[in-house]
Amino acid sequence: MTAYVLILSAAGMLVSAFLMVGQKALFTTIRLYGAQSLLLGVVATTMAISESRQELFVTAALTVVLKTFLIPWFLMRTVDRIGIHREIEPFLNVPTSLLICLGLTVVGYRVSSGFEGGTQQVSHHVIGVALSLLLIGLFLMVTRKKAITQILALLTVENAVFLVAIGVTSGMPLIVEFGIAFDVILAVLVLGILVQRLVGRFESMDVSRLSKLKG
Amino acid sequence: MNLVLWTLAVPLVTAAVGALGGARPFKEVTMVGGLALTFVLCLATAGQFLGGRPPAAFADALRVDGLSALVLVLCGFVGLLSGTYGAGYLRRNEARGVVTPRMRREFYGLIPAYVFAMLLVSMSNNLGIMWIAVELTTLASVFLISFHDRDTSLEAAWKFLVLGSLGLAFALLGTVLLFASGQGSLGEGMSGLHWTRFMQVAPELHPFTLRLGVVFALIGYGTKAGLAPMHTWKPDAYREAPSPAVVLMAVGMVNGALYCVLRIHLISKASLGPGFSEGLLLTLGLLSVLIAMPFVLIQWNIKRLLAYSSIEHVGIMAIGVGLGAEAAVFGALLHMTYHSLAKPLAFFSAGTIAQLHSSSNFDRIGHGTFSRTPVASALLVLATLMITGSPPFGLFFSELMILGAGFAGAHPAATAVFLAALVVLFCGFAYQVGQIVLGPPRDPADRRVPQPERFDLGMVTTIGVAAVAVVSTFYLPAPLMALIRAATQVVWGGG
Repeated sequence: MTAYVLILSAAGMLVSAFLMVGQKALFTTIRLYGAQSLLLGVVATTMAISESRQELFVTAALTVVLKTFLIPWFLMRTVDRIGIHREIEPFLNVPTSLLICLGLTVVGYRVSSGFEGGTQQVSHHVIGVALSLLLIGLFLMVTRKKAITQILALLTVENAVFLVAIGVTSGMPLIVEFGIAFDVILAVLVLGILVQRLVGRFESMDVSRLSKLKG
Repeated sequence: MNLVLWTLAVPLVTAAVGALGGARPFKEVTMVGGLALTFVLCLATAGQFLGGRPPAAFADALRVDGLSALVLVLCGFVGLLSGTYGAGYLRRNEARGVVTPRMRREFYGLIPAYVFAMLLVSMSNNLGIMWIAVELTTLASVFLISFHDRDTSLEAAWKFLVLGSLGLAFALLGTVLLFASGQGSLGEGMSGLHWTRFMQVAPELHPFTLRLGVVFALIGYGTKAGLAPMHTWKPDAYREAPSPAVVLMAVGMVNGALYCVLRIHLISKASLGPGFSEGLLLTLGLLSVLIAMPFVLIQWNIKRLLAYSSIEHVGIMAIGVGLGAEAAVFGALLHMTYHSLAKPLAFFSAGTIAQLHSSSNFDRIGHGTFSRTPVASALLVLATLMITGSPPFGLFFSELMILGAGFAGAHPAATAVFLAALVVLFCGFAYQVGQIVLGPPRDPADRRVPQPERFDLGMVTTIGVAAVAVVSTFYLPAPLMALIRAATQVVWGGG
């Protein structure tokens, strides 16, 4: 039973990443990120119950509170304030992007088999999804032009790192976990402030316009 | 109370007081006084280490060994310099009326906060704390880079934050993988991420996971250090940030990030043997030195020029460690020490010239600054001689030591390429700085008259650091030398 929940949630995270790649409306992309974080919370909770690892409950709670509610709320408020709601044409069109992400998923699964226990049913999927998510996050980062989408790509990479942590370790020490959560919040705040300053200055959050500095 | 905690508490309180506000003299005194006290505490902590009682706190999560003590002293020194020059820098800008209340708050708050984060990095024995501290330095520097609120400074801050965060995500993944490689042997809880614990169980780490973790962590922390090809944020950030903040990044962050790189390298070396991470460091180091070459030759901005010098020097230190010889490691740490003295001088003198000409672009500064700002120009020439490794200055000896060990060791071809790159870089810097300092102004009618040079706080700090850098060429205090030896012991002997 728990195995099915784990695999389903992990697969759901991967699906949400693919949907983010195909999505242009910023609000929907932010909601997808929220859903992805919720699924990460589900993975952590399931692991916590099935392997009776108490610390993972804290991870799950932190993930859901911060990444499903707080960060998406803050990002939506930023988007609202700026008043730019859609991603412009990315550097690559959607079908090509999806095909590339499919390839990245294959690579992610291939690498995951090198881990200790990486070929066993459940952890194979968890690690495989985590590495694929990481690669898709990096891909989003280099192909998108809007500052908000780049933040979401960064946060997707960060979710992937957490999924790896849950999948291959018995949980990071709690203090470290809190420290990391605190830093992530700070980073999103700083990014948000910077985006508002960028828009105030350039009247756009198209980062491909940031090209004055060369050499 | 524990010395380690005092060393961290003082800059933190200084930052809080600075961010709150108050009259200018009060803020200046708090910042400079707080950072001076911090430096004294760093010296005391290093002294306690040399006295044979390694300081530690929080169940060894913070622990000072030879490498920590060296980086700690250098960071504390740079923090004090930055605070003193910074107070002078802001005074100059106040006189021109270009300082807003936001700038004051950010400046007096963020510089001590940055020093706090740097010191936390250099004392962390726990890979988790180390990551958190490096992330803090990143966040503290964002608003220092966008300080002047120009189009270009927002661009630089954005690129820095995105690339830096990505690097840190990699470093976090690396940390997680390192932790994963020791499941079963590292143990549960906080002490499972202790560097000392990793070194104890090194032979039992899972090789595949460890290898992957080391690569990610080296790339991640290498991004913060500015190793090529993850260096692209550096020229932008160094150009836009005010000079006192740049010095924190160019010396403090570079030393701190190298500290992290070395810790990861040592875990890898203890578990996988020396070849794996040494090869990586040597490759990244050589790439950094080579990539700096063309950009120095075509450079159009003095602070970007110095940023490429910073990339070069990070590369040199990585090469020193990557060559895999004890003499080269000693050379690399000696290089770190001398670099921490010479680079502030370079940024302070160049920063003064730029500030008086209201621009750091070559075309706005023009030629023949020697006739307009003689003291700063002379100091810039001195700094250029130092950072290009000209005899008799310290960096010449440390580079010679690395080169000697390289030719005698297993990588003579790589060392030859390195030597050739050093020669080209010397010529490049000599050409560029010569263009600025020497010669008559090209077009007297067009030239904007700079502000006159004054012996203010900024200038006094610059002259002071010049004196220290020159004296250090001929005389390094015995305790400092002992620290460099102890650090070599850690990096070569693994603890």
